[in-house]
Amino acid sequence: MSTVFYDKFERHSHAEGLKGRSTHYCPGCGHGLAHKYLASAIETLGIQDRTVIVSPVGCSVFLYYYFDVGNTQAAHGRAPAVAIGHKLANPDSIVVSYQGDGDLASIGLAEIVSTAQMGLPITVIFINNAIYGMTGGQMAPTTLMGQESATSPYGRNQYMGQPMKMAELISALDGPIYVERVALFDAKQRNRAEKAILKALKLQVENKGFAFIEVLSECPLHLKMTPEEAEKWVKETMSQVFPLGVKKDLTETEAWFNPPAAIFDPGMVMTVIGGENQAPKRNCTSFPAHIAPNDISLKLAGAGGDGAQTAAMLIAQAAVNEGFDATHIPSYGPESRGGTSYADVHIAVGEVLSPASPRPNILVAFNAPSLAKFGPQVKSGGTIVYDSSTISEPPPAPAGVKQFGVPFTGIALTLGKPVVKNVVALGALQAVTNIFPTDTFLTAIRQALKEKAKVIPLNEEAFARGQKAVAKQ
Amino acid sequence: MTTKERPKPFLIPHYCKGCGRCIDSCNKHCITAGTEIDPLTGLVPVNLDLEACNGCGLCIDACPEPYGLSPMPEGVDPSNFELQDPAKLFGEKQSAAPPTSEIPDQIIPLPRVEPLVIKGNYAAAVGALLAGCRHFFGYPITPSTEGAELMAKLLPKLDGFFLQAVSEVATVNMMYGAGGAGLRAMTFTSSPGFSLMLEGISYMIGSELPGVFINVMRGGPGLGNIAPEQTDIKLACRGLGHGNTHAISFTPSTPQEMLDLTMLAFDLSFKYRNPVVVLGDGYLGQMTGKVTLPSTMKRPGIPAWAVYGDAKHRANINTSIYLDETDLEKHNHKINAKYELMEKNEQRADLFCADDAEVLIVACNTPARMAKGAVEALRSDGIKAGLFRPITVWPFPIDLLRKPLEKAKRIVVVEASNGQLEDELRLAVSKAGIQSLPPVDSVRHMGGILPQLEEIVAEVKGKKVAA
Ligand code: SF4
Ligand code: SF4
Ligand code: SF4
Repeated sequence: MSTVFYDKFERHSHAEGLKGRSTHYCPGCGHGLAHKYLASAIETLGIQDRTVIVSPVGCSVFLYYYFDVGNTQAAHGRAPAVAIGHKLANPDSIVVSYQGDGDLASIGLAEIVSTAQMGLPITVIFINNAIYGMTGGQMAPTTLMGQESATSPYGRNQYMGQPMKMAELISALDGPIYVERVALFDAKQRNRAEKAILKALKLQVENKGFAFIEVLSECPLHLKMTPEEAEKWVKETMSQVFPLGVKKDLTETEAWFNPPAAIFDPGMVMTVIGGENQAPKRNCTSFPAHIAPNDISLKLAGAGGDGAQTAAMLIAQAAVNEGFDATHIPSYGPESRGGTSYADVHIAVGEVLSPASPRPNILVAFNAPSLAKFGPQVKSGGTIVYDSSTISEPPPAPAGVKQFGVPFTGIALTLGKPVVKNVVALGALQAVTNIFPTDTFLTAIRQALKEKAKVIPLNEEAFARGQKAVAKQ
Repeated sequence: MTTKERPKPFLIPHYCKGCGRCIDSCNKHCITAGTEIDPLTGLVPVNLDLEACNGCGLCIDACPEPYGLSPMPEGVDPSNFELQDPAKLFGEKQSAAPPTSEIPDQIIPLPRVEPLVIKGNYAAAVGALLAGCRHFFGYPITPSTEGAELMAKLLPKLDGFFLQAVSEVATVNMMYGAGGAGLRAMTFTSSPGFSLMLEGISYMIGSELPGVFINVMRGGPGLGNIAPEQTDIKLACRGLGHGNTHAISFTPSTPQEMLDLTMLAFDLSFKYRNPVVVLGDGYLGQMTGKVTLPSTMKRPGIPAWAVYGDAKHRANINTSIYLDETDLEKHNHKINAKYELMEKNEQRADLFCADDAEVLIVACNTPARMAKGAVEALRSDGIKAGLFRPITVWPFPIDLLRKPLEKAKRIVVVEASNGQLEDELRLAVSKAGIQSLPPVDSVRHMGGILPQLEEIVAEVKGKKVAA
């Protein structure tokens, strides 16, 4: 007996009586043989400590009774996904996904196909016995045409579809490097099965890739046969439909799986997150209370591509740089369809409470529909800045609201970059409202363009032009 | 090796299932079908007559039982061997694995940096990185995707793993694997995706595995839309898959809380060995705000219970199957005891002007911000309003509600759902044996519309406004 098996199967009914040494499998069941070959491969490769076996739902759900390795029991069909989790958590572990036909070829198809295609070094042992065992002899995805089962009592017919040939299907994918179908019905096949399982595991130890071994196995109980008859049936009938042999062998592949250990260096983590340790210079002496006492509400509205969201982000960044609280919410949900895009911004001395801007103090409108829709919502005493290049006939400003037209688009076009119209708008906004000093905006713009330093001068120019256009009025 | 030296097979009849697989594997016809029932097993073991045996071992390879046919141990005379105690033959150990041990977490100081100005989804992702998460599994779904995208961008720079799974079903099972290995794994998802993960969450709870789920809730049912709705409070509190399941469920209302509560979620997830859910809403996920970073980060170790795939953790198992009814009941009692601890220790709420409030507004997530604004507006109009904002919806922070309930003459539950928060409130009140609850009114929206400040004010003042 392999040392990879527990000396006593404590998990098998607390090892009561003979259960401490006997499997729960029916007499003649193929699972026990596959277990023995897997155990012997683990022993041969000296990987018992590193091995994690994922057991499925099916008769082999209790595989963990027997194997003295790390054990994980997975939900029905999901063993390959669980295996990926283990493999990536510890790339040095050797992960085996052991599954039956219902588990792998029916409910778990998406998981096995995607895992195989991903090609991580994981070993899958697929026990195909053409029937559901644990649930009591129902039709499996691999049940043969004409074969009777509890859910195909008159034999599988065309209405139930054809048996799934998993080894062929998996070998057609680019991910796997080794796929073989083996059987257990005679000494020669058993020898092949043992070798195939060893090879599949070895490929994982060598960090080469994904291997899939389909084992044609006997389920005498539900085939309603003696073990001997079952062996004969697999040999003469089942293996006609599921031809034995190597389906794919790229074992000469280079080893590739060798991920570095995760980084926890605090400096590195901070750099990746983008934390700045230098406080930007503050330019404000106090909150811009001339606009609103302690919470300023803005709305920036236009069409998608006008850059309303970026402009809103810059305002929020500028506010936080000055030590205030700020929020920005993009138009979102149904409103973001049909090309309209608007942003709600709040700036507060303390904490922004309600982040929406249904009654803004300031509106920046990039097009006529936005001005028409949101203009009337601006609070008395508030300010509207709109793009006079696109809005030639603005509606009259609501009572008590100041309204300024600045050719955002026109200026941006003269700079050769229509996309900077939002920065022109920010310049205009600054000049009209003096919400923050010029330097506060410029700092925020430079911060945002840190990784595209080349375009900073252009944006500074756009901002200045926006300001100048207001000064001229 | 000569044939003489090869060990002949040996069989303890009680471990033979009489399947007969060994019979035709032997060319020398040493093995024959038995005729006598073994009284211990009720099975009929085979008979061995090893006169002609050449020790080829083929019968051993053919036997499916780990302790069935085996090479003859030295010094055993099969002719007069009598089994007394199997342990005497094979030794007493159940597992040779060394005792499990823990690699402790490390808390690492962080350099002080300026506050970030980032979206709620980004804040949660940053929180995860600082909490030591280096394993992300997910499937893209609006409006949670930016979180996943940021992880896809940043994790490779920290040599972590970002993996886009084939589905949410696969996602949660990858988390089961990585969490089961003792590492900090997470996902971002949104309501329909969360539905798909529930089976796996039930398995994680059953197997006592950690993992953090950021669910940026959107409008439902069905495909619904991608606008904000607090549509999964019911799922998080009452419907985490099949069986006896609960998980701490946070309801942040600012990007700052998205970061802070995500970090806390990892710690609590490992503390209780149970998944933790962070329920954002679509609005919060998209909302940019000021986020101050903490002064420390985590380098997680590996807990003693993990199935990590090394010698120190070989003896471990992750499973949720307990075949024996009494074992399963015992396991449920153990889980229930953890729930009780969570209910006792993890209730969290934020109270704003609640101490003397006559009208107590109850709201969480983004609607709580509108509600907070409404409280300020109402107070400036001389109305004694206050806000009770659950930060955990499970466990519902009922202990923190007792005091404000003494003064409250009226409760107004403000929510972007059909009353899921109010249901939790009422259930918690009822379970806590609180007899007198003042009248409960509500401001509710569904479909992706959020209750607005003016509506809340109007409701409190007894007026209705057109939505
Ligand atoms: S039901 Fe079939 S597969 Fe299951 S243990 Fe019995 S023989 Fe094996
Ligand atoms: S070892 Fe070979 S010869 Fe001896 S009983 Fe077994 S199969 Fe027969
Ligand atoms: S193969 Fe093993 S279990 Fe089956 S009859 Fe032979 S000794 Fe017994």
